[in-house]
Amino acid sequence: MSSDYDRPRADPDATACSYTDYDTKERAVGDVPATGDDAEGLEREVWSQLYTVEDPEMPVSIVDLGLIYGLELEDGTATIDMTLTYSGCPARELILDDVEAAAESVDGVDDAEVQLVWSPDWSVDLVTEQGKESLREFGMSIE
Amino acid sequence: MSTTNADLGDPTELSEDQQRAVEAQLFRLADDELVQAERYTFWQVRAPTLESDLAVSNNAQDELGHARLWYDAIQQLGYTEESLIYESDPDDFQHSTLVELPFEEGDWADAVVRGYLYDVAEEIRLAALEESTYAPIRDRTDRIQGEEEYHLEHARSWLERMSLDDDASERVQAAIDKLYPYALTIFEPVGDVESDIEALGIRTRSLDEMRADWAERVDSFLTEQGFAVPTDTEPATPVGRDNDHTDHWHSLHEEMTSTYRNLGRDTATRLMDEDDE
Repeated sequence: MSSDYDRPRADPDATACSYTDYDTKERAVGDVPATGDDAEGLEREVWSQLYTVEDPEMPVSIVDLGLIYGLELEDGTATIDMTLTYSGCPARELILDDVEAAAESVDGVDDAEVQLVWSPDWSVDLVTEQGKESLREFGMSIE
Repeated sequence: MSTTNADLGDPTELSEDQQRAVEAQLFRLADDELVQAERYTFWQVRAPTLESDLAVSNNAQDELGHARLWYDAIQQLGYTEESLIYESDPDDFQHSTLVELPFEEGDWADAVVRGYLYDVAEEIRLAALEESTYAPIRDRTDRIQGEEEYHLEHARSWLERMSLDDDASERVQAAIDKLYPYALTIFEPVGDVESDIEALGIRTRSLDEMRADWAERVDSFLTEQGFAVPTDTEPATPVGRDNDHTDHWHSLHEEMTSTYRNLGRDTATRLMDEDDE
């Protein structure tokens, strides 16, 4: 051990997988959640695809659950800020993969990257009206 | 933000000293949560009621989720999951020895008391990180605090019920006497880097302040339930924070990493590779 508080350093040249290639921006800016209401053109198409991704445990779109905090499109790259309902979510990789694949399925988007953000904290208040309706139909009690 | 210290900026902007201090704060957070979760799993099939099987399983899953959040933050600084957990020497870990002690079969009071002592400390520690000058720490506290509230409620309600029964009370008292000195190790320093953690505003309260707050809260609640609290005790040794652990940790780490080793792994495989899509 080199000192009292050093963990052996990882190989500095190691390539991180897509989810460890973290962006350092962890706090979503602007109002959350984002739902793409005012989106037009290509951006609108990306939102339409994001709406098709459902939570693995409930038949509700991740956009209606309020999990998407932001979407930016630049030179064919979609950058999506997203949070999860639960820190221990075992489906994390699966959801992130689905979201990236959905965004990349749009003609004109070559690459999509999801940035996991944890602030502001997600709560059921962020679920959209449509989302609440779907959750009620699913049998959950939502005010 | 009300802190007087300057924001430390992105992981890539940290100076060597700043990174050392950030890492020192993150390692104990990640390691405490991971090992607490590993030990909780013992009770998943042994808790006295189906409801408590579920509660304990949930707590374990929460703590694993929190460990992942903290290890993720460490990975932004250039580490990998395998180097942090599976290929790490057990003595590289810096969790408090409270969380590594094994449970004895049937000693449910130990699980309840341990959870209580740990979760009060956790609550105090997270509050001291809310205004951290390091955004990846600051931004994770909300999420974790929301999930921790229930753990404390669970522990308190068990302690209240157990205090009404003579046999259970005796077992709780024995667990308090045994675990209190180990719980004090949560507030032990990792080395001289501790002063940097405070000076840089990575954590806004000192270990001494947090320990005093913890001791007062624990004492007040447990005394109310009729238990005696050994408040003049010294921290147990080894303390864990200084990389010195009990043999129990070496066995647990061996067990925790056995599949990784038996399969001859050299990477912690993700559910899906980037190229498989």
